[in-house]
Amino acid sequence: MSEEHVGDNQARKSKKPFYFNTSEHLLRIGREKAANLSELLEALRQCPADSVFQHTFRTLQEHHFIRRGFSNDFAHWALSACNEPALAERLASVDVREFTSLEDLRQSLVRVLADYVEHNPNAGARNADESFYFCAADIVVLPTSFVPDTLRGFADGLRRVSIHSIHHHFIEARLRLKLMSNDFSQWLLEEMNLTEAARAINRIDIYTSTMENVRQQIVGIVERAV
Amino acid sequence: MSPQKAMNPSASIAETISSSTPRPKTALAPEKPSMESRQAVRDFRTPPVPQPPARLDDYQEIIGQSNLDSLRFLARDLKGKTLKMVNSTAVGGGVAEMLNCLVPMLTELEVTTHWDVITGGNDFFEVTKAFHNALQGSPYQLTKHVQEIFLMYNEQNMRRMQFGEDLVVIHDPQPAALVQSRKDSASHWVWRCHIDLSHPNPQVWDFLRPYIEQYDAAIFSSQSFARQLPIPQYLFYPCIDPLSEKNKELDESMVQAVCDEFQVNRSRPIVLQVSRFDRAKDPVGVIQAFKLAKKYVDCQLVMAGGGASDDPEGAAVLQEVKAAAGDDPDIIILDLPPWCALEINALQRASTLVVQKSIKEGFGLTVTEALWKGKPTIASAVGGIPNQIIHKLTGVLVHSVEGCAYQIRYLLTHPDFAKRLGENGREHVKENFLMTTNAKRWLLLFQILNGTRATPLP
Repeated sequence: MSEEHVGDNQARKSKKPFYFNTSEHLLRIGREKAANLSELLEALRQCPADSVFQHTFRTLQEHHFIRRGFSNDFAHWALSACNEPALAERLASVDVREFTSLEDLRQSLVRVLADYVEHNPNAGARNADESFYFCAADIVVLPTSFVPDTLRGFADGLRRVSIHSIHHHFIEARLRLKLMSNDFSQWLLEEMNLTEAARAINRIDIYTSTMENVRQQIVGIVERAV
Repeated sequence: MSPQKAMNPSASIAETISSSTPRPKTALAPEKPSMESRQAVRDFRTPPVPQPPARLDDYQEIIGQSNLDSLRFLARDLKGKTLKMVNSTAVGGGVAEMLNCLVPMLTELEVTTHWDVITGGNDFFEVTKAFHNALQGSPYQLTKHVQEIFLMYNEQNMRRMQFGEDLVVIHDPQPAALVQSRKDSASHWVWRCHIDLSHPNPQVWDFLRPYIEQYDAAIFSSQSFARQLPIPQYLFYPCIDPLSEKNKELDESMVQAVCDEFQVNRSRPIVLQVSRFDRAKDPVGVIQAFKLAKKYVDCQLVMAGGGASDDPEGAAVLQEVKAAAGDDPDIIILDLPPWCALEINALQRASTLVVQKSIKEGFGLTVTEALWKGKPTIASAVGGIPNQIIHKLTGVLVHSVEGCAYQIRYLLTHPDFAKRLGENGREHVKENFLMTTNAKRWLLLFQILNGTRATPLP
């Protein structure tokens, strides 16, 4: 018998409830600024880690309503201000969910940029239409009123919390957990023993859906488990 | 009565419609709208009675309960704390308009917020107006006498005002030197700069900079407006109130009534630019782009603005606009008084797409308003507009008359793409540019400065 069908999932209570939190961010304007790709590369090497966070993880939250065509600020700038579609594609393919450390993410972005500038030296020095201004985020984590200890309550919370809460638990979580996972999958796995549901949630593609659509997909998986 | 006469508050309805040549349907007094639509539209020739501020719960349908809860959670930790906002005018201008909405909102959240306005003579406000222009790049010769006037009035206000609040926010350069009062208090002091400091007059900036550096933080409206400073700098986007006359939802009958009033034909595509008659908004460029586009697509252009009746330069620009429009019957030029927020709202809602072809721009709140109404928007990549328009995702950015014309043609012939831009644009505003988000930013900043809550990066 599959572990997904052990007992009555709907009524089963977890030992630890799921605490739905949400994170709010205040944007700080950084010191680094780039007028071309070479300057972007240099600034990206030197900027604080919270700037890397802002322009990758956090920008996904800011633009959660865009279904496709937006991945991170560096890729968007390479396309819209530098007219370098090949570089933009490569930067856009850097998936934040493959990283549990901002330094690793930074190095990955730097590698892509350095390689491109090395092979396209004219592109590196060409002035962009607009400068890239590095920013960073100050984070404040807040509780919500949703603290479910059943799958039914969990699904209800998923439906009712803000998109920021979904982002906090589903995307930012891996930096906190240092795992290639997310808070929802971890809770389903550890508290409800729902391995398949946990895996299915972790496989959701965040780059081809709006965050609202991601929420619906998560709710769907949990409801099927209920 | 000339149909070209610019509108003034006592003018008749027909006089509000200003076209370059007699247009049969506008040259004469328009037919009176039906009784139903007359009831829906107010008399826009006189200022409306100010509405009481909205309550927080009124925003629930717009931002959702969860976002409202976040605001209340943030405010809960600040209960009992006090905040003071200081600016230079109680009425008129974007800062006063914003504070009129923000202060009641924070007060309802039980963060006691005081709002003080500095006083000064004409000489002070002449100096600060010159500073304002100089800080945005205009040439200016700073004299010792001017510095003395600026400091004298700031000191006069320091003696008059008290700063016992936990957080003191000084808006713009006029009261910037009040920060010298901070030595007497344990408050946090923040400078909120609403103007573009990217290319300031060096003399004026060098004079103000030592005062700015005494603050705990500075806030700018766009990354590109900021200066390098030794204090933290935050980004607070300007915002709109979705429940204001300018932005609230309107009944279809109201939209129709306003269009009837101004003889805008809703059965044909409407391209709209809302802006005062100012060369920085490139109204002539808009007409040129429209005329290029009209060779390929059927559409009409509405240029709705103001500033021509009380500003000689505005009147001159209006004449240039009329000359550029020539005898084109599809160009409707409206010179409206400043209180016509409801009429602008209706025109924005009636439009098929919105253009903001500015040459120089602050943040560009008319773009925010258009995006909020879900309108596909074409705008120049200047000032704060690129913060709002993510090219081909929340609107389109253009750099020339020809580019603007092409995008008008493209969006009018690709309605699905235009619709998606409009939908994304509205979500972008909902996420970043609403008054509730502004209130949230103030609460976050207050908490971060207080050290009440600040979560380290994961």
